[in-house]
Amino acid sequence: MALKRQSVQWPWQGLLIVILLGLAIGLWIATKQVNYEWRWERVPQYFAYQDEEPQTAPFAGTVIKISPAGDASQVTIQPESSGLPATVTVETATLKVAVGAQVNEDDEMGATRHWQVGPLTQGLWVTIWISFVSGFFGLIIGLITGLCRISKNPTLRGLAVLYIELIRGTPLLVQIFIFYFFIGTVLHLDRIVAGIGALSLFVGAYTAEIIRAGIQSIPKGQSEAARSLGMSAAETMIHIVLPQAFKRVLPPLAGQFISLIKDSSLVSVIAITDLTKSGREIITSSFATFEIWFTVALLYLVVTSVLSQLLFWLERRFARSD
Amino acid sequence: MIEVNRLIKIFAGRGQVVRAVDEVSTQVAKGEVVVIIGPSGSGKSTFLRCLNGLEEFDDGQVIIDGIDIAGSKTNLNAVRREVGMVFQHFNLFPHKTVLENVTLAQRVVRKRKVAEAHDKAMALLTKVGIAEKVNEYPSRLSGGQQQRVAIARALAMDPKVMLFDEPTSALDPEMVGEVLDVMKQLAREGMTMAVVTHEMGFAREVAHRVLFMDAGKVLEDAPPARFFTAPNEPRAQAFLKQVL
Repeated sequence: MALKRQSVQWPWQGLLIVILLGLAIGLWIATKQVNYEWRWERVPQYFAYQDEEPQTAPFAGTVIKISPAGDASQVTIQPESSGLPATVTVETATLKVAVGAQVNEDDEMGATRHWQVGPLTQGLWVTIWISFVSGFFGLIIGLITGLCRISKNPTLRGLAVLYIELIRGTPLLVQIFIFYFFIGTVLHLDRIVAGIGALSLFVGAYTAEIIRAGIQSIPKGQSEAARSLGMSAAETMIHIVLPQAFKRVLPPLAGQFISLIKDSSLVSVIAITDLTKSGREIITSSFATFEIWFTVALLYLVVTSVLSQLLFWLERRFARSD
Repeated sequence: MIEVNRLIKIFAGRGQVVRAVDEVSTQVAKGEVVVIIGPSGSGKSTFLRCLNGLEEFDDGQVIIDGIDIAGSKTNLNAVRREVGMVFQHFNLFPHKTVLENVTLAQRVVRKRKVAEAHDKAMALLTKVGIAEKVNEYPSRLSGGQQQRVAIARALAMDPKVMLFDEPTSALDPEMVGEVLDVMKQLAREGMTMAVVTHEMGFAREVAHRVLFMDAGKVLEDAPPARFFTAPNEPRAQAFLKQVL
């Protein structure tokens, strides 16, 4: 008999489905218990909604003609006093007058509709760009700090170690408060700048350690070969060590940036209207607490999954030379 | 071409002090091939690495083509340009293709134009017999091929001296020959070479002089004919008995 046996997969996959179903049913029963009324239909309007803008009569007169043009209707009004008739375009569904009706000046004839971006979409956008900008600055700070950390100069090394220890030893929430209320007040920083600054410094400290580990993981022979060809220390770093180090640290860096997107929710405490803050604001007006928090969580999940796929793709591209 | 005066390199660590290179003085003339042999830990690799400053020596003098490499006004990078080095483990740049491995330093250090660096690289890769692999990454090459690329990479800088640090020690036996052939050809063309190796056949055939090192000291300095037949030192006699 062969040592390698074909293991049977389907009972375990079945068990997985049973467990997931059990969890879903449990969740459903739990919400039944608290008598919560689900109103999922309220959620989409917070992504985007149709804004109605009322259209009024420019002067008193009589409606003489209503001609449809697609979804809209053109209402023609003949003024009471002599003069040229005017037309007002409104959505047919919102039409409030009929032919022959008498209208006064500023009477509502109907409304035009146009799509408006909802608070969830706006919050999502704020979260994405704040994370992206913080990640960009964090990477630069991390690269510089990482290089200082392995420098032979004791001053640079000491500063780098101090910075990393300070950031890694204190909670991000406290850092955001300090950055906003202390540094922000002293330097007159906008709340967005303070938020981005705090996040950049936070992610920079972790990135520095990742980059240091990456650089130190490159065999000494690589820089020896480069130096033996006459390259300077900086040229060796740029052409030989850093490209290889970056390739190696891509998975931990990806993890760090995914964490950053999630950690960015903390800037909502200094009144930056990111995804989390938008969610809280919507709940105060809609009372759809469960639906909104689930939606917010899902949106974070979507963003982090997309980033994770993107970095995975990048990793495979870099693996070409392996 | 190379002049070494009372070179001392001390490794200190874990309470131990090792005099890896202990007052070595020698010189290598232009066009001369010097082979350094000796048992493991005798300091021969460390000595070789001191010659281009990869190892920071503690005392003494290394003069390459008239320039004291430890001099306060010496630009060590400029000296290294003139001194090619080939390593035991090849140390090719894994993220660059074979061609890029050979052109990179030409572009960065010698500031050559793309076309010029490319032509030089192709000529050298053809010379070492790898011309058909130029667009491969090093990981796709055998050890012998990688080492030949490493030799081409060093030669691309037009060095005046070539240092070889056990260039065949990490190779499968059937690949040793192809690397030694390239080195023999270089020697015939008049390249100044310092070679640390365990290939006694190469030493016998190509070397002008053989240095035998043990415990950081050069015990014998003789032409291969005399060294391999009648070494003076008992330590060298014992070593040869083991390896031949």
